[in-house]
Amino acid sequence: MESSRGSLVAESLEALPLARSLAGPSGEVLGVAPGPIPEAEAARVPADRIRVIDPAAPPGASTAGAAFSLVEAAQDSNASLVLVVGSARGRELAGRVAARWDAGLATGVTEIRPGTQGWTVVRPVFGGRATQELALEGRKAVVALRPHAFSPGSAPSTPPVIEHRAAPTLPPLATGGGVSAEAPVEAGSGPSLAAASIVVSGGRGLRSAENFHLVEELARSLGAAVGASRAVTDAGWRPASYQVGQTGQSVSPQLYVAVGISGAIQHLTGMMSSRVIVAINSDAQAPIFRVSDYGIAGDLFAILPALTEEIRRVRGGPSAPASR
Amino acid sequence: MEIVVLIKPVPEAETRLRPDRGGAELDPAGVKFVLAGYDESAVEQALLLKESAPGTTIRAVSLGPLARSEEVLRAALALGVDHATSVEEPPGVAHDPVQVARMLAFVVSRYSYSLLLGGKQSGDEGSGCVPSAVAEFLGVPDFGSVTDLKWDPIAGRFTFRQSLERTVLSVEAPPPVMIGLQQAWNDPRTAKLPMILRSRKAPIDRVPRAEVEALLARHPRPAVRAVSFRLPPPRMGARMIEYSSPQDAARKLVRLLTEEAKVL
Repeated sequence: MESSRGSLVAESLEALPLARSLAGPSGEVLGVAPGPIPEAEAARVPADRIRVIDPAAPPGASTAGAAFSLVEAAQDSNASLVLVVGSARGRELAGRVAARWDAGLATGVTEIRPGTQGWTVVRPVFGGRATQELALEGRKAVVALRPHAFSPGSAPSTPPVIEHRAAPTLPPLATGGGVSAEAPVEAGSGPSLAAASIVVSGGRGLRSAENFHLVEELARSLGAAVGASRAVTDAGWRPASYQVGQTGQSVSPQLYVAVGISGAIQHLTGMMSSRVIVAINSDAQAPIFRVSDYGIAGDLFAILPALTEEIRRVRGGPSAPASR
Repeated sequence: MEIVVLIKPVPEAETRLRPDRGGAELDPAGVKFVLAGYDESAVEQALLLKESAPGTTIRAVSLGPLARSEEVLRAALALGVDHATSVEEPPGVAHDPVQVARMLAFVVSRYSYSLLLGGKQSGDEGSGCVPSAVAEFLGVPDFGSVTDLKWDPIAGRFTFRQSLERTVLSVEAPPPVMIGLQQAWNDPRTAKLPMILRSRKAPIDRVPRAEVEALLARHPRPAVRAVSFRLPPPRMGARMIEYSSPQDAARKLVRLLTEEAKVL
């Protein structure tokens, strides 16, 4: 499990019901929390036991310590499968745990089932342009899950038993690093790209930096993260951290809305594994429509404010200021 | 400062992907393998550090079928990397990140380094877990999703930012350290012709396949086997929404997303 500022992150709750169903009625699910979590949160976790590592590693520490604790938990419980939250740190952690525990390893996994030996997993590759199915044939496997690929479950009828373990003391050479500052992601811009379940991205079709707020307002109405095509970040309309695509972020949200984005390979490699893709573009022939589920061809300067207004209406949020 | 950069040959971005005859792997016929994506950025980052810290040397290490890894190593040499090591990949381990990391750690451990650099993920399979597994084998700390990497010569530390999902950390770490680079420059430098010509003749240190095979034989593992390589079902193309006004388009789209796609 992963936590942020003392609370479990949403993706942790996606891993546990999956663990429960893979373990079967007689199997045991052990959740490992990388630091103390509130009791009310622990009660919602569908695990038999939760092992709390205390104290939590300081932010900015290498994943070496967490890997040590996770391998210890896997050995203590004679586990056959370690599921890891598929965040950026989760993938790093998965690499360390598999190396240390000498287990099979796959990351970015969207499907997992028992194989004839070990586990069979499916994962998007080439930024979602293809999928790869792998057989992890050993008795032990580490699998990092793709965020949003699995549903969070409901709270268990019996809350898990909590146990505490001391955090390991590792040589400084293995842990390294200290944090000099910490800032929440893009204050005010909503959830970050990689963790978001909805992403709204803008492209060259917005014509200028001054128009990009139309994308941000739509994103705000949806509670979505804001992304951009390379054309936008290259032109400096938004920082490089907004870029979705081959040289930017890979995202796989439930809903991806591409506004004024033509659909170059550079961009498609990075968002093609989104579940539902909506394209809004003035050019009805734009390649983005070929890979989208729903399309609106037309004047995005008229459509975006109307869409933002409609979503606010449906969601019962505050009404939009008069559109320009 | 001594920097080791790990680079992987990956298919060119424009490659038309298709499964091979067995259906388990990407068909490599006609595919050009290049230095690209985050790995290309890692080389660029190493060169920027070298420019800021005179006396720095950079070694690129690449694992893969020999012809492919030496091609990307020559690309790195042409960009200004000083030394190159190719590791010939034995068959059957390409999909096993742990064995890949074991081989890379084995090779890297013969060099002295204060910084190990890699892309945060490769441009093809993109598993993003090899750098940390290499770090685990070597017993060095690792940091992924890194941007703004700098060397502070007075403090003798690297400073960088780590862009995680919910937070951006400013981190200082003493060498040695493994860094998985998040930053991508859309326009990294390109090689100049004289450097390209020189790189064609530059020596590449080769780690013979027998050496890594002996390593793997000492650490046998159950296989990670490719079962299938599939292209997503061709999307039928967008269902285009017909509308009488922007408000009408908005209402229709929201209704479809709520009732049909069920994503709102």
